[in-house]
Amino acid sequence: MGTEGNLRISQVGLRGIVGPGLTAAHVLDFAAAFGTFLDAPGKIVIGRDPRASGIMIREGVIAGLLSTGHDVIDLGVVSTPVIQHAIVRINAAGGISIGASHNAAEWNALKFLGPQGSYLATGESGELLDIYHLKKFAFVGHESVGKLQIDRTAMDLYLDDLAKNFPLERLKKFKILVDCTNGLSALLLRRMKERFGLNFVLFNERLEGRSFVHEPATNRKMVELQLAPLMKHVGADAGFLFDIDSDRVALATETGQAVSEEMVMVLLADEFLERGPGKIVIANVSTTGLLEEVAARHDGRVERIAVGRQATIDALQSFRPEQIAIAGEGTGAIMIPQFRYVYDGIAAMLAILERMERKGQTLSQLLGSYPRYSILKGVVRLETHKIPEMLFALEQFYPDAKRNTTDGLRLDWINRWVHVRVSQTEPIVRVICEQQGDEPRRLFDETMEIVRSYCA
Amino acid sequence: MSRVHQLKIGVSGIRGVVGDFLTPNLACAFAQAFGTYVGQGRVVLGRDTRSTGEMLEHAVTCGLLAAGCEVVKVGIAPTPTIQIYVSETHAQGGIAITASHNPPEYNALKLFNREGLFFNQYERSELLDLYHQSDFHRATNAEIRSVSVDYDTAPERHIARVLKNVDVERIRKRHFKVALDGVNGAGSLMSVHFLRDVLNCELHAISVDPTKPFPREAEPRPEVLDDLRALMKECGADIAFAQDPDGDRLAVGDETGFILDNDEVLAMAVDCALHRVKGSVVVNLTTSSVIDEVAHRYGCPIYRSPVGEANVVDRMRAVGAVIGGEGTNGGIIFPAVHYCRDSYMGMAFLLDRMAETGKTLSALAATHAPYYRRLEKFTFEYGRLGPIMQELESIFTGAQLDRTDGLKLIWPDAWLHVRSSNTEPVLRLAAEARSPERLEEIYARAERVVNNS
Repeated sequence: MGTEGNLRISQVGLRGIVGPGLTAAHVLDFAAAFGTFLDAPGKIVIGRDPRASGIMIREGVIAGLLSTGHDVIDLGVVSTPVIQHAIVRINAAGGISIGASHNAAEWNALKFLGPQGSYLATGESGELLDIYHLKKFAFVGHESVGKLQIDRTAMDLYLDDLAKNFPLERLKKFKILVDCTNGLSALLLRRMKERFGLNFVLFNERLEGRSFVHEPATNRKMVELQLAPLMKHVGADAGFLFDIDSDRVALATETGQAVSEEMVMVLLADEFLERGPGKIVIANVSTTGLLEEVAARHDGRVERIAVGRQATIDALQSFRPEQIAIAGEGTGAIMIPQFRYVYDGIAAMLAILERMERKGQTLSQLLGSYPRYSILKGVVRLETHKIPEMLFALEQFYPDAKRNTTDGLRLDWINRWVHVRVSQTEPIVRVICEQQGDEPRRLFDETMEIVRSYCA
Repeated sequence: MSRVHQLKIGVSGIRGVVGDFLTPNLACAFAQAFGTYVGQGRVVLGRDTRSTGEMLEHAVTCGLLAAGCEVVKVGIAPTPTIQIYVSETHAQGGIAITASHNPPEYNALKLFNREGLFFNQYERSELLDLYHQSDFHRATNAEIRSVSVDYDTAPERHIARVLKNVDVERIRKRHFKVALDGVNGAGSLMSVHFLRDVLNCELHAISVDPTKPFPREAEPRPEVLDDLRALMKECGADIAFAQDPDGDRLAVGDETGFILDNDEVLAMAVDCALHRVKGSVVVNLTTSSVIDEVAHRYGCPIYRSPVGEANVVDRMRAVGAVIGGEGTNGGIIFPAVHYCRDSYMGMAFLLDRMAETGKTLSALAATHAPYYRRLEKFTFEYGRLGPIMQELESIFTGAQLDRTDGLKLIWPDAWLHVRSSNTEPVLRLAAEARSPERLEEIYARAERVVNNS
């Protein structure tokens, strides 16, 4: 029997609803496990998002890390890319980012970062989990307990680095409307405005700990509701909507059009393949097929992987950095290897603005250059043990399709595909079906019918 | 063989060697139990200067926040200062992170109720049940409260209370020459301020850097205060003080460079207190009879309680005592300041008495009749106390018996007390007599019983 969980401990880290799910004891144990996993001594950088529960979790994280002999450098309320940047800058042993990003306010999570500032690969996080489960932590004696340092310079040093990677001076001409969703993007963008004179018009920029003005989801629906209606009124050249950690971003055009979240990845793939033809785009099997078309234009290719951050991290490790154009998801979470191996919505936004500037085109003109793709999505509740049979039946039903079993089952035809995926968190199956041009109604309905026939 | 207990979770809270035994996870869980028990209000948190204090402060803060409490951090502060702050600010409770006089590898949580008093035995066992059941309140994001910091007003509040009970001007006028050994403890900075600035003493201080480790054994026993003795000689001090790491215990040296017995110090403090206001006195069973003599001089009743600060305080509250303490470990409890052991009130009392009488400390001490005392620890196994008590009772006939805490045998000219420690697997054998010969006679007989059983 599956349940709607309020706690998830996995290779991605620790995530849950604070109180009923995620408790102080989990935090202490996980921090001590991470302190054990990284050899002491070695500084560990931490930071958190504005959720109220972050105050409590921070204390537990600090205690767990100090007790295992690590000095802790606390950056305060900052986004994950700032933490990750600081890890590399001060040559720290690793880092912990406290924050639940696109989840609702009652959630929180710990994300673990290695010495290169990137998320732990599956093997590493497996080891961390083993230590956590064994609860045999390498606590040190009183003479070796770590010390806490506070560092308030990290955000500015991160912005210095951004300024080196993007032509900020040339982006000053754009009027940019941003919905900060009460999250960390507000801090970064306000500071960028001050320091570099970028013309950001920010709203929902108050950091909130208890509840957010709207669900921190970066999808077309949210942009349609929150951001798109304001575009023309403000006269903005581009609109961006961030989640709490500003790792994900969604778009609105200057004409007030809400853009599909899939297009963030498409725009960036196009941009970075143009700069580095022949490179690889790493994307999961649920992300738009438009990527293949864009990749073909630049002699590049798309490496399709399983859904989830962990698969992306593992894939990134199996290529040389110079082989990769970008990696990401259709959710608007993108990594730009030239900058950092971490989802960074701010860098994604700057790269899109840079493309507009370089091409001398508006956002809607840029988006207009791609053929139309239509996606249909469905959800079916299904008992977990029936899933293999169901997937096999689908495979049999479509013998002419190219089959990919990286994550569930994806079947490909020319300009058309369907992906049947099993959720990792709930006993449900997701059906995603895409086609160039009009909606793939027939394929979608057929697939849904087969999936449904396996329901009890 | 005795088993050394490196972690103890019991009615006195949680105490152990930090690292593999007292872990932050345990401290956090205990704090969450505490926060659940006292309720979702303000909880005061302070600590001594141990190297593990900062780490445990974060673990405890985490547990308190997770229970839905608001945390007020007073930082590095003596235990009595934290207790007074709890009561003055009407907090729900307080926690001091300190292992008091234990070695630096130890740490512990001392728990206070809303009055700033140590939990009584009923509160302690309720909390312990709650801890074992892991039935904690788990605050959600909407319920989690904040952390605030008040490093300044706690010492001020404490000092103000002390000063109400002495003649400050008379002390200031004398400009006493004072030697101080702060053991680099929680009172280091506060003691310097108190003695030099507030009481206008010519202060010669050592070990008053809270960032450094303890330079000597944490408990201010006469045997470990050589540096203070040297300082006293060098500066010709009128009086010398030594504190423990959390500023509740006090050792005192006189102008000749002699470190007084703790019972003597308590006797002087009782004298000071009764000289101001007459009333009952409470001391523990192992405290010297010299206190009875002082109390009788003022016609005041004296009560005995089991060993342990909480026991003395309970009894003091019950009888409405004006002063109390434990001679064996240098604790003076003066309720007009707070029901807690307080080295600051002790210092102020002695300086005030010297100012009032114009006498030296040794002259003041000489007014008490001499008693001869011996107190030793024996490692033992739990379960052996009963047979030892039976044997002592049968060989010492004609003594008056008190079974409140172990066994105390009382004669007109002497007493003998055997009990087991609350915190370690040791047996404590104490005796006192009016003559050294009598002391040796009863102690030798009792020691044989202890060693042979």
